Amino acid sequence: MNQEINRETAEQAYRYMLTARKLDERLAQLYRAGDIFGGVFLGKGQEALSVSVGMVLRKGDVYAPLIRDGAGRLAFGETVLDALRNCLGSPLGPMRARDGNVHRGRPREGSMAMISHLGASISVVNGALMAKRMKGESGFIGAACIGEGATSTGAFHEALNQAAIEKLPLLLVVANNQYAYSTPTTMQFACEKLTDKAVGYGVTAHEVDGTNLESCWNTLQQAAQKARNGEGPQLIVAELLRLCGHGEHDDAHYVTDDMKQSKVGKDCMEQARSLLISQYDFSIEELQAWEAATLKDINQSITTVKQEGGPDPYTHNWNPLATRELSEQPIGTAN
Amino acid sequence: MSITYLEAIREAQAYLLKNDPSVYIYGQDVGAFGGAFKATKNLAAEFPGRVIDAPISEDAMIGSAVGAAIEGLRPIIEVQFADFSTVGFNQMVNQAATLFWRTEVPCPITLRLPSGGTSGGGPFHSQCLESIYAHFPGLIVCTPATVEDAYSMLIESVTLDDPVVFCEHKYLYFHLKAESLPQEALPIGKARIAREGRDMTIVTYSAMVHECLEAAKEMAQDGIQIEVVDLRTVKPIDTDTIIASVARTGRLLCVAEEWPWGGVNAEVISRVVAEGFNLLDAPPQRINAKDTPVPYHPRLWSVHRPTAQSIVAASRHLLRI
Amino acid sequence: MSLTPIIMPQLGESIAEATIIDLLVPQGESVTAGQDIIEVETQKATMNVTAPCDGVIDAYIVEIGESYAVGDVLGQVESDAVSAQSDQTSAPTASQATSQPKQSRQESKQPGSKQPTPAPASAESSFSVVKPTIKGLPVPAHFVGAQYMSPRMKARMYELGLREADLAGIAGSGAGGRLTIQDFEKFLTQLEQARLTQASSMRVAVADAMRRSWTRPLATVGTPVKLDPLLSHRAKLNPKPGPALFAIRALAIALSENSATAGRLIGNKIAHPASIDIGFAVEAEDGVLVPVIRNADNTSVTSMVETYNNLVNSARLRKLPANATGGSIATVTNFGTFGLTWATPIPLPEQTLVLGLGAGRKVPFWDESTSSFVPVTEAQLTLSFDHRVLDGGAAGRLLTRINELMTHPQQL
Repeated sequence: MNQEINRETAEQAYRYMLTARKLDERLAQLYRAGDIFGGVFLGKGQEALSVSVGMVLRKGDVYAPLIRDGAGRLAFGETVLDALRNCLGSPLGPMRARDGNVHRGRPREGSMAMISHLGASISVVNGALMAKRMKGESGFIGAACIGEGATSTGAFHEALNQAAIEKLPLLLVVANNQYAYSTPTTMQFACEKLTDKAVGYGVTAHEVDGTNLESCWNTLQQAAQKARNGEGPQLIVAELLRLCGHGEHDDAHYVTDDMKQSKVGKDCMEQARSLLISQYDFSIEELQAWEAATLKDINQSITTVKQEGGPDPYTHNWNPLATRELSEQPIGTAN
Repeated sequence: MSITYLEAIREAQAYLLKNDPSVYIYGQDVGAFGGAFKATKNLAAEFPGRVIDAPISEDAMIGSAVGAAIEGLRPIIEVQFADFSTVGFNQMVNQAATLFWRTEVPCPITLRLPSGGTSGGGPFHSQCLESIYAHFPGLIVCTPATVEDAYSMLIESVTLDDPVVFCEHKYLYFHLKAESLPQEALPIGKARIAREGRDMTIVTYSAMVHECLEAAKEMAQDGIQIEVVDLRTVKPIDTDTIIASVARTGRLLCVAEEWPWGGVNAEVISRVVAEGFNLLDAPPQRINAKDTPVPYHPRLWSVHRPTAQSIVAASRHLLRI
Repeated sequence: MSLTPIIMPQLGESIAEATIIDLLVPQGESVTAGQDIIEVETQKATMNVTAPCDGVIDAYIVEIGESYAVGDVLGQVESDAVSAQSDQTSAPTASQATSQPKQSRQESKQPGSKQPTPAPASAESSFSVVKPTIKGLPVPAHFVGAQYMSPRMKARMYELGLREADLAGIAGSGAGGRLTIQDFEKFLTQLEQARLTQASSMRVAVADAMRRSWTRPLATVGTPVKLDPLLSHRAKLNPKPGPALFAIRALAIALSENSATAGRLIGNKIAHPASIDIGFAVEAEDGVLVPVIRNADNTSVTSMVETYNNLVNSARLRKLPANATGGSIATVTNFGTFGLTWATPIPLPEQTLVLGLGAGRKVPFWDESTSSFVPVTEAQLTLSFDHRVLDGGAAGRLLTRINELMTHPQQL
């Protein structure tokens, strides 16, 4: 059943977005302080789209978030602690320090752990959906999130084609944030709009203003409804702008001023804030209180995680197989 | 009753489909057509909805298998020729092989690769890719040489909770027959002494086992007894059995159909030299296919990979040095 | 007339055999090259075998419903001599036409002869069955005729406490005469049949020392020494030093004048001796001990006597104190006591020189002044040395000096 956004869901959504934004800001600070190993990738500018995906999914659905889906992950049930643990390399995190930053997930709970190869996650969602169908489940959907850059990969093509042939209840959410690292969309695809591809695959397309929470919400709800109704894969393309570097090591100087000042350059947080205040009568004080509370929670979590330290290479379980006796690695040595 | 290597694979799949509702088969032409080599003949009809035709999309086939495995199913992916699996290589080695290591969620998928050369097959229907998969941690790689192993090892592969690359040899499909299917079998990971001998150890696997046995038979006429070890699995390698054999014979020849650089032969020799140096009475040797793509013309192909004759020549040489 | 075999073609990748479904052209009827004559079924599909040439179906030797392997002969086509010269290299396949018979290929077939059966599987029957042309292996050249001791050999030898010198008597049967483990084990088996006794630890120690010494290039020079002056001088002394002591003392003085000759060559450096300590060989049990006279250049022969005698006794009883052996820079061996006139002794492995003294004998000596032979007591002095450190000249000069000193015993 299609749900319009209301006061309750708007608050929920905004608070996830807020936590995601604050978490991103703290991670950027930690990165510049030298506290994080490896790269840091933020989702600034994508929160409205991401949270709309996360909130339309239910328990039992399948979710493959990508690099800038902090808000969606929180909405789907990820804890701030899990996110921080993975970014700070705690052995208690979901990946046990074996993979870092945004490469995290809890597959048994429906959240796939991405690999670096873009587009590869989509067919994994397809497979999970096919399996659910074979097992006789019903009413489920899956969501795979990618950027416009990933639409150039063969993996994207094969997976979308596969989903269409199998008529899977897949939401393929493309966040067109105008840049894949430094590559603008003119170098990424030649068609006028990414949604033009839908016809070629035989799927339904949805366009949405990715900076507007309400629009995102409505579009995702509609798309999810269609998917649940058996109408096959839904290709959702959201227009927005990446409001940070590709990673925190990147200053994004190549993003033009025109782009920043255009319609896609608007910050979805500000728009969401306006929505809550003007449409749903929340006060600025309430919003500030939420912000303070979430920041406090984040900071407390950072303290906790930092105390956990890093993994011990000498007692680490260096076994890559579930069937231990077939592993050629001796367990418990650093080599 | 005689059963071919291919029929054994079909029987194994039938057994699995029948006894484990979580098993399904996905690949090009596997459904009504029964598969390019008829490995799934009649199975789609017997097990509706569980033998599914795939588009030509090895990446999506293998990626979807990972997703299905996360949901608790045990997919068997049939790639039509091992040579085509490189299109989906990324999904196998980066998605499937790392899932357990990264998330502690097992990935029980089985990738069936019709491997190896046949006369006239040419460069892209003849490859042996076990080494490149074996190189990645998190995978198990099987290379059955007998009808019995094709049966039992496929069943065990699907039953294991880890991703398995199952390299079945196309030449053996219809050329190799057995009287019956086995009741018992060696487990995956254990090598088999295919022939006992005291003068020299040959370590080999898959179709080459039969070439080596031929060679051993010819050498036996001169009173030379060659021990042939069938690896059965190339990841993990049963190093213990190999070392025990070399301890008995003092000489090692590794024979494989794949290309020379960094293959199974190189791995076996490296281990024997490192762990059994003082057992060796001569430098270990290996023979592989020539370091070129597999040629098409049968005459060229006939000398491209080891044959019983070239194995005999290599054996005689090893016994002299 | 000649008979051309109809051969089961390669019908597809990995196809090994096919089943006969139908014989499309009955025996006795004529066919043209490439015409479908037999219908067969494989695992994958139904296909047709075509006639290899123009002619008449002479016979089918197959049964409907039976399976035959790729390369098997299924029957024969009879044709006249001309049309029998078909190119056998393109044998009948399921979908391609055979080449037209060529008159120029007369040489491959004799008219009227029957074709041999069965045909080779690769369907190229006018060429012989392909054999791999690999004659040997791409094994590095130095392995051919390589002489080395394998790791297994070395491990086994280590286990048994053996050294290469112990195996000198075994001929190897491996490449280039290499000693293989089989040769070794055979040798050991034969050895078991000989009468074996346990060598003493002394024997084993001496064997090891001699083996190590022998790794150097050794040479020997010799000169006779007149003992008469020494013998008459000795008669007046109390206590009386043995002849060996005079040799020890002479060697010590000669070395103190030129210690470099007793130096040791290590790489490209010469290690010079610190003090002139001279050892002397004493037979003990089934071996040799070498006690040492310290600072022999500063001790007169008569002062050495008591020390020398004590050392000899202790050595014979194997009761030498630790500081009595070791550290000598050269050795004297008096094998004259065994009745030997002459020998080429081997220096200790840590020394460059060994001086040997043979038994004294009365021999005629040509006295120039009287133009006659006069009897003298003479012994042979031999000096064996590490030829890396000194050559004949230096060795000769050292020996000459020793000779000079020994014939002027009052200086010793």
